[in-house]
Amino acid sequence: MIDLLDIISPQSSAYLPWILALLILPIFSFATTGFMKGKAPYWSSAIIASNLLVAAYLATVFWNEPLTIRGNWFKLGENQFTYSFYLDKLALTMSLIVNFVALLVHIFSTEYMRTDANKPRYFAYLGLFTFSMMGIVLFNDLLFIFIFWELVGVSSYLLIGFWFQKKSASLAANKAFILNRIGDLGFITGLMILFTQFHSLDLDAVKSLMIMSEIEDGNWVVNFMQGGKEVISSMDGRWLSAGGIALFCGAVGKSAQFPLQVWLPDAMEGPTPVSALIHAATMVAAGVYMLARIFVLLDAQALEVVAIVGAVTAFMAAIAALSQFDIKKVLAYSTISQLGYMVLAMGVGAYSAGLFHLITHAFFKAGLFLSAGIIIHQLHHLEKGGKKFDPQDMRVMGGLRRKLPVTFFAFVICSLALAGLPGFSGFLSKDAILLDLAVWADIKGGGFYIPEVLAFMTVVLTAFYTFRMIYLVFFGEFRLPKILGDASLPNKLKEGNLWVTVPAVIFALLSFTFPFGFTLNADHSWVMEALKTPMYLVPESYAATSLLDVPEETFHGLHKTVNIVSILLALAGLFIAWLSYKPGAKLEKTFIERREPVGVLGQISFYHWYQNSLYQNIFLKAILAKSRALAWFDQYVLDEAVNLLAKLNVVIAHVTRWFDQVFVDGLVNLTAASVGKVGQLTRSIQSGNIQAQILVTFIFLLTLILLLVV
Amino acid sequence: MLLLGALMFCVGLFVVFTRKNAIMVLIGIELMLNSANLNLVTFSRFDPQALQGQIFSLFVITIAAAEAAVALAIVVKVYKYFKTSDLDKINSMKG
Repeated sequence: MIDLLDIISPQSSAYLPWILALLILPIFSFATTGFMKGKAPYWSSAIIASNLLVAAYLATVFWNEPLTIRGNWFKLGENQFTYSFYLDKLALTMSLIVNFVALLVHIFSTEYMRTDANKPRYFAYLGLFTFSMMGIVLFNDLLFIFIFWELVGVSSYLLIGFWFQKKSASLAANKAFILNRIGDLGFITGLMILFTQFHSLDLDAVKSLMIMSEIEDGNWVVNFMQGGKEVISSMDGRWLSAGGIALFCGAVGKSAQFPLQVWLPDAMEGPTPVSALIHAATMVAAGVYMLARIFVLLDAQALEVVAIVGAVTAFMAAIAALSQFDIKKVLAYSTISQLGYMVLAMGVGAYSAGLFHLITHAFFKAGLFLSAGIIIHQLHHLEKGGKKFDPQDMRVMGGLRRKLPVTFFAFVICSLALAGLPGFSGFLSKDAILLDLAVWADIKGGGFYIPEVLAFMTVVLTAFYTFRMIYLVFFGEFRLPKILGDASLPNKLKEGNLWVTVPAVIFALLSFTFPFGFTLNADHSWVMEALKTPMYLVPESYAATSLLDVPEETFHGLHKTVNIVSILLALAGLFIAWLSYKPGAKLEKTFIERREPVGVLGQISFYHWYQNSLYQNIFLKAILAKSRALAWFDQYVLDEAVNLLAKLNVVIAHVTRWFDQVFVDGLVNLTAASVGKVGQLTRSIQSGNIQAQILVTFIFLLTLILLLVV
Repeated sequence: MLLLGALMFCVGLFVVFTRKNAIMVLIGIELMLNSANLNLVTFSRFDPQALQGQIFSLFVITIAAAEAAVALAIVVKVYKYFKTSDLDKINSMKG
């Protein structure tokens, strides 16, 4: 029988310092950047650049041979806790992406935050974020992943609330943190279930023991040795599904899935480069990355939940993105929607496709956010000395293509990737997801066609809101001069400088197909080759049908249909957007005067299915009512009880005092008084009269002599 | 002789107990000492060779002289301190 301690026995490697460097460099940046004042951007950028080099070096060394490093951390009773690193292609790719996006965002921020007085603090936080993200990526131990998971939450909180002087920013930071906590509750529950069953949280151990676990009479049983003793863990089989769903809850919080996704649009209160780095490219993808790490531990039911949540999120967010005025809100909802696609992909078992979409999305969405950042930054310059306006509102934009040509280029390329048109990266990954989804729906049948329908509808919606945004921002007339009544404004608007345009353009270039292979078929991309879908390790009767078991022909048969349908749907979305928002169209004209969309559907979209109101009016009210009830209970029941106790104590104290005074003191006084009385009695002999004393002496002497003689 | 000694002792004792003046008390004490001497001398009849009783009474007389000197000095001091020699009034030892 296999011994748990053998699976998690320490393993060392000469490359440990290199891996530690990946963690230490960003935390060093966090620790020191705050003291650098004006040089902070250059200092932290240099550190992140060297971190990227370390990541690249490790990637070249360990690309083909995964590296495991493990050491003992502490022992609690029989249970050995370990720390372990696992460098496979997934971890290496992620560490490259995180560092690469972080570096470009650092460079972009150098210009974007140039005039901000607190920029050393900003760059320090970016260092903290990179550190925490690298922790999630490199560690192979669920406990450590959880620790860094929380650290990522903290750095996200700090960066959303970076302009904490704004009430809305600090509220948004709180909202993001609290909603993440709700998801993390699920994560912890999942960890506890796994630990109860396997006595270890090391992913290698969990996976090896998961293979050996069996379902017997509806019970989930696993047998193994632990330090020479035999351990039989058994629990109801439903805990296996529950554990998977609980772990997924963590991803629901972090990756902004339904029903916890409402924090992400609010998180746009943070600086725009932060939105690009954290709330588009990396942190929100951590949930998907975690799902990929625990992918093999999920059973059929958990995967169904994952798929349905993903599809619902993708569709809901895409609807919400249709009617927003704030350019960053559109991008935020679009991010939620795309994350929904990734989670959906994980749910249907399309591991490689989901991760592929994670990678392509990281680039094109970071590109979109940075381009939007340039627009906001340049419009912000117009505010100087003039009237105030909201530089994120698309109602003040329009016709920016002539003024910001480079930004326009980057934005359109990334948008095409987002909409999933052929020739761009988004096409490859989305196509792979949709294909796997179609196969999955065919296998499952019945109600499982609904996620497929939702996903394909989202394709139309995505193309629509993307091009609505492009038309509103870059085409037609520049609307701001009319609104402010200042005709000189268009001449003042300039393209951003190289600090900001270069990162945006780099992301735009990475949104083409060619960085992922010169092909229009996702299967031929190197990413799909590198990140192969693994087999499920859960007991057979609980495992989902793996897509690996589906014959190749099924995929080939559907491939063309899916391809054509998705391209047609995307083009349809593009066409509708052109019809309704081309310069001079009816919707475009009324758009500028509106304060909020008209009609029931428009309202539902604009207010994101009223989910926020639902939370605020029902859940928040319920929670507040509960708090009030508890406060009342505290005040009138607990406090009263405590007061009663106190009063009782006082009464008892009074009684005790009386007892003390009367009995204890009385006894003492009695002793003293009686001694005094005896003294009084005896002193009367001592008259002081010398003759009386002599007389007494004489009588006693006489008596003595008499006694002696007789 | 023995009767005389006993009488003298009783008179001395009576004087010591009844007189108020310290000097008179001292005189009483001297009387008692001398009655003791009388006894010593009387009993030395039973020891004609060594005459120990008579020798011893000589010592007693000597010591009595010394005692009288010390006692008188104390009485003078007491008188100076209390401005009286009345023993009833010298009662600062009263408890």
